[in-house]
Amino acid sequence: MSRTARVGLFLAAAAVFAVVFTLACTGLPHFGAASHPYGTRAVAAALRHRTANVISSVNFDQRAFDTLGEESILFASVLGAVALLRPARDERESSPLPLRVPPSTRLIGAILLPLTLLTGVYIVAHGQLSPGGGFQGGVVLATGLHLAYVAADYRALRRVRPLVVLEVADAVAAGAFALLGLAGLIAGSGYLRNVLPLGTFNQLSSGGLVPVINAAVGLEVGSGLVVLLAGFLDQAVEIDTPPAAQDGDRA
Amino acid sequence: MTTADLLPLAVAVPLLGAVLLAAAGNRLPRLARDVIVTVAAAAVLADLVALWHGSAHGRVVNWLGGYRPRHGVSVGIVLVGDRTGVAVALLAALLVLAVVCYSWRYFAEPPARHAGTFPALILLFEAGMCGFALTGDLFDAFVFFELMGTVAYALTGYHIEDPRPLQGALTFGVVNSLAAYATLLGIGLLYARTGELGFASIGAALEGHRADALLVTAFVLVLTGLLVKAAVVPFHFWLPDAHSVAPTPVCMLLSGVMVELGVYGVARVYTVVFAGPHGIPHGAFRDTFVGFGVLTALTGAVMCWQQRHLKRMLAFSTIAHVGLFLTGVALLTPQGLAGTALYVAGHAGAKAALFGVTGVLLDRYGSVDEDTLHGRARELPLAGVLFTLGGLALAGLPPFGLGLGKAVAEHAAAADLRWLPAVFVAVSAATGGAVLRAALHVFAGAGTADHHRPGPQATGDAEEPEIREASRRVPAPMLVVPAVLLAGSLAVGVLPAVAHALAGAAASFTDRAGYLSAAADGPAGRTNPVPQAGWTTEGVLLGCLSALLAVACAAGSVWGAKVPWPAGRRAALTVRTASRRVILPLRRLHSGHLGDYVSWLAGGIAVLLLVLLAQV
Repeated sequence: MSRTARVGLFLAAAAVFAVVFTLACTGLPHFGAASHPYGTRAVAAALRHRTANVISSVNFDQRAFDTLGEESILFASVLGAVALLRPARDERESSPLPLRVPPSTRLIGAILLPLTLLTGVYIVAHGQLSPGGGFQGGVVLATGLHLAYVAADYRALRRVRPLVVLEVADAVAAGAFALLGLAGLIAGSGYLRNVLPLGTFNQLSSGGLVPVINAAVGLEVGSGLVVLLAGFLDQAVEIDTPPAAQDGDRA
Repeated sequence: MTTADLLPLAVAVPLLGAVLLAAAGNRLPRLARDVIVTVAAAAVLADLVALWHGSAHGRVVNWLGGYRPRHGVSVGIVLVGDRTGVAVALLAALLVLAVVCYSWRYFAEPPARHAGTFPALILLFEAGMCGFALTGDLFDAFVFFELMGTVAYALTGYHIEDPRPLQGALTFGVVNSLAAYATLLGIGLLYARTGELGFASIGAALEGHRADALLVTAFVLVLTGLLVKAAVVPFHFWLPDAHSVAPTPVCMLLSGVMVELGVYGVARVYTVVFAGPHGIPHGAFRDTFVGFGVLTALTGAVMCWQQRHLKRMLAFSTIAHVGLFLTGVALLTPQGLAGTALYVAGHAGAKAALFGVTGVLLDRYGSVDEDTLHGRARELPLAGVLFTLGGLALAGLPPFGLGLGKAVAEHAAAADLRWLPAVFVAVSAATGGAVLRAALHVFAGAGTADHHRPGPQATGDAEEPEIREASRRVPAPMLVVPAVLLAGSLAVGVLPAVAHALAGAAASFTDRAGYLSAAADGPAGRTNPVPQAGWTTEGVLLGCLSALLAVACAAGSVWGAKVPWPAGRRAALTVRTASRRVILPLRRLHSGHLGDYVSWLAGGIAVLLLVLLAQV
């Protein structure tokens, strides 16, 4: 298609969609209405299982199977992206040179790195109690590690990032979720059913399996993200790309 | 352990296998990796076979985490193993096992440091497909649908040495992700209206609302993701670009079952969620999607005939057949569904076998181009026989399963529109004919090597050979697996038990009230009468007709130029002129330009919205 035809088709379609979608939105319930059918039920179910953070209860208990699928998507994305980013036969790896970094930057990095990691651990560990949890805390952990790159250089990052260990940790944590689900089956009650004591409401050890699954997800997200970023960073920093190969014709 | 516990295991087992391969794959020898992936695939198959037997007397329902409905409502996720869902998952598991066996000797040496990645991704793909087939929850279906997609993008681009797989994977990923956003938006609209996420609970809640713009918009948006995966025109452009460059074992899965899962999703979502009173009227659904199905079938058939790149040819034939599947499903009769189920099962075997044999060609000659390979594969008679049989099966020759499915679907279609069987016959003849033509050229060296096809075209040369020892013998699994797959396709047509079981599955699939009741923990519903799904004289004759036409098309194309009588030459000339007028513009639409594909996606959504709004 010519550029004009392409853009014209898209704009015409977008106009139709805009009108119909606006019309559809007039059928939605109004803001601030009193009826929240799912929310009411989910809060009651979270309280029954003594999980203070209802979001975590939905994620890791009530609809844990969705989360199993989601963390499998993350696992598959990391696995797939790292495989696609592997050095091709015609790419050469080169070691990045050390860079001069102002001492003040290094100092800030050295202070912030452990602080950020600690924050990450806190957010993962308190997922069943307060806003946060494995997904959010895992991202904090992974990005915190990259302070070593921001505040020092790539070689410093490589020292604090044991990729081989993290790759295995990513897989093991993904498997731990599926295995924790099996625990209910072995106990005779059913897949993903709680097998731990529910504990005291609003205590660190409450919510049954929620904190355990939460920790597994935190480990998976944290290590998976580091592995994923390593794939991209290696491409950008360590690999010399040959001139792009010529593109074939298709129709 | 009860039968219901087998449902989540179909997802958990392949996941755990993938984890093991990803964690330990680099440290294990190749044999150990092959054993792990094969055992995992076989275990899933065994689980699903047990589930198939367990679901003989009604749907198997599992409320995960023990969140059974209280007072008719639940906060949890329900898995529903009805016979159609289990059959779809079984088909996926069978193909995965075949692909795993095919791949034993397929890749020369897996990339260092990523030795376990390929088999791990195959198992994750299986987990996604099983989860999607067995879930009874709309959002959960979306999650597993995305898992399937994510893995498929990575597998498509697996050969990073060549830029084309990466471009194909990128197109695949972008178009499918945009469509997934549409689906998510649609789920959001439904959730806002009903506060529910289960298929059955949304369906029940929607009965209290009238059909309005919100319902139609939500329906179209939810369907967009499914229709893109099913490669229905005009959402199909990504498929040939991805299928022609993906590794052959991956093509077997993509064409054999993933695309069909899109059609399954459309059928499930419509029947359970939207087909109730005050929903999308049956007539509107039938007219719209029979229309889209026929358009897809014809486009796929015309484009299939035009290809010289063998994998691209097979990809377009998949589009053509998906069009027929959608038509069969859209009839909304138990017989149409039964025919489609048989058709899909037969097609999976035949199409995967054809891709498998194409993989042998790629392995030996580093090319999948019909013209370049002209006569070169004379030395592979067994592969030639398998390829020809695959082509005949595709054309609907009795007693292959494809032929039976086609016959049953045609019979159901004729009851709706008298001319529909003609579309089935023409599409089968064109796609089967294209494959037979390629078989004559490549394996028999018939006709001349150069064909003057007008316009831009994709050649199948300079493909990345997937194995690096050209002189070695063809590994046994690479021929045995296609042979077994073809035998499976034959068995679907020959064994009356298969047809009867799938007809029963179709009868219960159309029983909406029964599904709603089972998913709400209620009593099992009545059972619909099981439709007739065996061979009839009419079906056999139409199957023979389409196979004969396919042979005639292939022979005419190969030897047509040499025909001594002037009438034949004149006919060939007319065909060539018509092809320049009609087919060139159609081919130019398949431009490989991602922007074009996105515009078509938006255009397709807009057309669906307008067409359905006009009918509600």
